[in-house]
Amino acid sequence: MIAEAATYAKPGEGGAVDGAALPLVVEHVAKGYDFNGQVVPVIADLSLTLRKGEIVSIVGPSGCGKTTLLNTLCGLLAPDAGRIRWHGRQVVGQPQNVGYMLQKDLLFPWRTALANTMLGLEIRGVPAAEAEDRSRAMLDQLGLHGFADHYPATLSGGMRQRVALARTLVNDPDVLLLDEPFAALDFQTKLLIENDMVSLVRKGGRSMLLITHDIEEAVSIADRVIVLTRRPTAVKAAYEIELGSDRADVISLRENPDFSRYVRRIWANLDVAIQ
Amino acid sequence: MVDASKPAGCVPSPVARAKWTRLRFSIAVLATQVLVLAALLVMWERATPKGSPAAFMFGSPSAIAGFLVQMARDGSLWRDAGVTGMETLLGFFMGNLVGTLLGLSLWYSRFVSRVVQPFVIALGSIPIIALAPIVIIWFGTGLVSKVAMSTLSVVIVALVTSYKGAIGVDGDQINLMKTLGASKFQIFRKLVVPASLTDIFAGLKLTVGFALIGAIVGEFMSSSEGLGHAIFKAGSLYIIPKVFAALVVTIVLALVLTWIVGKIERLLIPWRRQA
Repeated sequence: MIAEAATYAKPGEGGAVDGAALPLVVEHVAKGYDFNGQVVPVIADLSLTLRKGEIVSIVGPSGCGKTTLLNTLCGLLAPDAGRIRWHGRQVVGQPQNVGYMLQKDLLFPWRTALANTMLGLEIRGVPAAEAEDRSRAMLDQLGLHGFADHYPATLSGGMRQRVALARTLVNDPDVLLLDEPFAALDFQTKLLIENDMVSLVRKGGRSMLLITHDIEEAVSIADRVIVLTRRPTAVKAAYEIELGSDRADVISLRENPDFSRYVRRIWANLDVAIQ
Repeated sequence: MVDASKPAGCVPSPVARAKWTRLRFSIAVLATQVLVLAALLVMWERATPKGSPAAFMFGSPSAIAGFLVQMARDGSLWRDAGVTGMETLLGFFMGNLVGTLLGLSLWYSRFVSRVVQPFVIALGSIPIIALAPIVIIWFGTGLVSKVAMSTLSVVIVALVTSYKGAIGVDGDQINLMKTLGASKFQIFRKLVVPASLTDIFAGLKLTVGFALIGAIVGEFMSSSEGLGHAIFKAGSLYIIPKVFAALVVTIVLALVLTWIVGKIERLLIPWRRQA
């Protein structure tokens, strides 16, 4: 049986002061854009939590403000209202130990795959030799052995996104915030990268928040799927995804009969306009 | 390896064939260029028989060649080209150094760049030749005034192109740097400066010509040597072929300088070469 959580915005859920252990608590966040002097609300009132080692997917209709949400979470935009707490603390600016990945790989063309991977370590002042060793090991883990010295222009889209993933993971983040990171890739490439990513994230006990419009992707990867409403957005529903104990293999999961049931349920609950 | 120049009959590898197609194209382009130039020179020579009024008014290729040989023999060609080349190089270097540093540093402060904007536009709209009399009063009639003219014709262009490059940096890449914990200076050094290199080099190639124009305008106003001096003097004496001869040297000088900049660009931007 599929358990469906009720409407999600339970104030205080995990939001109490003792929620310090929770990597991310979002309470009643609102965010609007100033458009020609008028404030256009994008996020109406949004609350969610991310537990340690948990993978949460956020799905919503196109243009519902998922990207605004992500940018607000990682401190690139300031919320108009509400609180965002990382490990129990409100943060000014960028939170520590949070990895951020977009659909665009954002690799620097003047840096090799290795140098791109080293970027975060370099910024934090990790000694060059150590940074290089760690980066090479991370590239190897992601199947990029032998490509460390290639410039991004000579790599395929899938390999570039793997380098971007290596650049994120090598910093050893507690939490990953991903905004449709593999949406531009073809289906096979995407499945393989997702599989590698999920197993690395689960093995490292990291938490992950994945924004996507692909419900199958959301269900196959996540422990919980949060459905957002249309803009101005809020949480519409949340689904605990229970697909057995081995969640690292996202490819064979798709054969589980419950998988398609979850997908149908969520699809039915998504505010998609049918033309 | 299959030799691309082998005659048809043996089957070349696709790579060799593609290489051969490209080579054939470049040869065709070059041959057409040479033909066009030759045709123009022949028409010019035919239209200006020796001793005719047309030869006096327009010179003739043979007379120009004669002056080139004579100037090379008496050493004035090398001396004038050397003087103008030195003025151009110094002006090019100083103008680009100052302009690029200013342009890039404007990225640092939106406030300052806004404040400076109208002044830059105003300075950029001044025809450099209009400054020549003042420059000569301030810097004398020697090398320094020509270098100053050359610098002035370069600096605004360098400033504008480098600033454009700096503010054109992908906002998502800046966000990425922020989430990796980069300071503003780190964003500048590791992202903005390398990302602007392509624009800076476009500016460098453009300003070779401007630097040369500045130097020659300076020489027109007051000088005792240099290509501008030679052109001005020959023109005043109605020795038209000699004017053209000095112009030919000027063009060659510009081509050589542009070629050098291109070489340096390929050294400094290796990631574009590999692509």
